[in-house]
Amino acid sequence: MNTLSHYKYVFQMQFLRNAGFLVFMALIQILISIGIVIGFTYLIPNPDTHSILFLATGAPTIILIMVGLVILPQQIGTAKADGYMEFIRTWPVNRSVILGADTTMWLIISIPGIVVSSVVAHFMFNPGYDVSWTVIPALLLIALTSIGVGYGFSYLLSPTASLSISQVVVFGALMFSPVNFPMDRLPEWLQTLHEILPIYSMAEVMRASLAASTFDATLGNYFNLFIWCVLGYGGAIFILNKK
Amino acid sequence: MILDVNGVTKVFPGQKKSKTVVNDDLTFSIEEGEIFGLLGHNGAGKTTLVNQILGLLTPDNGEINLLGESVIQSPAKARSICSVQPQSQVPLGNLTPKQAVTLMGKMRAGNKFDPKRVDILFEALDMVEWANTMGERLSGGVRRLTNFCMAVIAPGQLVILDEPTNDVDPVRRRYLWQVIRDLTNDGTSVILVTHNVMEAEKAVDRVAIMHQGKFLAQGTPSDVKSSVSNLMRIELLLVKESVDMEIPSWALSTYMNGSRLVFSINPATVLSTIEWAKAQMDQGFVIDYSLSPTTIEDAFIALTSKKEVV
Repeated sequence: MNTLSHYKYVFQMQFLRNAGFLVFMALIQILISIGIVIGFTYLIPNPDTHSILFLATGAPTIILIMVGLVILPQQIGTAKADGYMEFIRTWPVNRSVILGADTTMWLIISIPGIVVSSVVAHFMFNPGYDVSWTVIPALLLIALTSIGVGYGFSYLLSPTASLSISQVVVFGALMFSPVNFPMDRLPEWLQTLHEILPIYSMAEVMRASLAASTFDATLGNYFNLFIWCVLGYGGAIFILNKK
Repeated sequence: MILDVNGVTKVFPGQKKSKTVVNDDLTFSIEEGEIFGLLGHNGAGKTTLVNQILGLLTPDNGEINLLGESVIQSPAKARSICSVQPQSQVPLGNLTPKQAVTLMGKMRAGNKFDPKRVDILFEALDMVEWANTMGERLSGGVRRLTNFCMAVIAPGQLVILDEPTNDVDPVRRRYLWQVIRDLTNDGTSVILVTHNVMEAEKAVDRVAIMHQGKFLAQGTPSDVKSSVSNLMRIELLLVKESVDMEIPSWALSTYMNGSRLVFSINPATVLSTIEWAKAQMDQGFVIDYSLSPTTIEDAFIALTSKKEVV
């Protein structure tokens, strides 16, 4: 039996088991992402096109952070608590196949939100999107980093600990991260912290591919994401194979 | 030989610096087509042993071989040889029993999977009416049966069932034992983990009684019973609490509770005991009586109630 058919059946099992929840979550993501674009324009009086572009290109990053670092850890916490995780570990498939199938599932629920919010923002504000071909690899890299890190800490830590982290992440990503506003507005120590954490790099890479003529991402940003992605998935596979 | 477990010891760190020996030098083997019962109280170490056979835990000492290959060296192989019904309920979410069992079958057997087997299993367990009901809406018993089907739909050479009859009604329990028996006809071996001793006695070929991480006895149910005692017991229901009746001289230990009288006898005296009991009935002292061999439950309790584990 080959890896591909294992992947197919594991994906079907995981997806159908959570189908109701996933559809609901995909809808919520659409609402949140539109909410970010429109809602923040109420916070900022008379926003210029540049600020709106910041918000519009930040919303997809927020969605990916929400899915990977908030919803996913909550799901893993539940799966751990009701013994489903132990059951998965007895399946006659490679553990990385399970991770791969689950990653696909999370990717699928985040894409509608990203597409819908970008289309809505474009027609409402026309903020100056300039989508580059790098959008596909960039989106994948950001999504994989977010999902990978989410897996890493939710497998590693107790359900309670990972739930607390995900709560901090929601608040921190929305208010204290340079996703919806430029980095230089933050105090210096937070800037230093964001040079290390993946959130800033996610936002930069996303912006550079959605509005290529306005924003740039450095090689360092890509490198940062790559490291976090490897750490996250590596940690998750390590825990899955641990005895 | 399917499974060979040799001197397996597993120690878990306890509170502070203490250590708990969960499995203590366990040795046993399972032949093709055999049903092996693992009996023990809660916390006896049964599930820990099973997790080591599956390669989910590594023993601190000893060896486990599945089909001649070391589980410690190739745990992935172990997972394809064994199929498991875990002790905890597997949450099915939006999956229907049919979807869950079919997907598990495909995952285990690939192209060799035969979808007809799903229907055969559901019919054998009389659960066809729920085949297409979403998991969340199923009763605990039907969910447990679905978990059972997921383990046996495309069984490996060894099927491990951890308390498969929990939550299942008495009628379907019988169907379930029949399905397990049928599995072994194809050469599949079964490990049955349970604390439901009476049920296991009828189902298993051999048992091991486990207590505080050790095997106290191992063998066929009758071996295990005779290792404790080979006495018979007679139970009589008297017409009233105090009856002026002579208890036979060969009665070994007598026990009286209200109008219930129980005593044990040597198997050689069975016939005379029956005659005696009949005579008491004719005289109107006794309403009813029953004679039974020592059950494996008696043996289990006798073995595990000894506080010192040697």
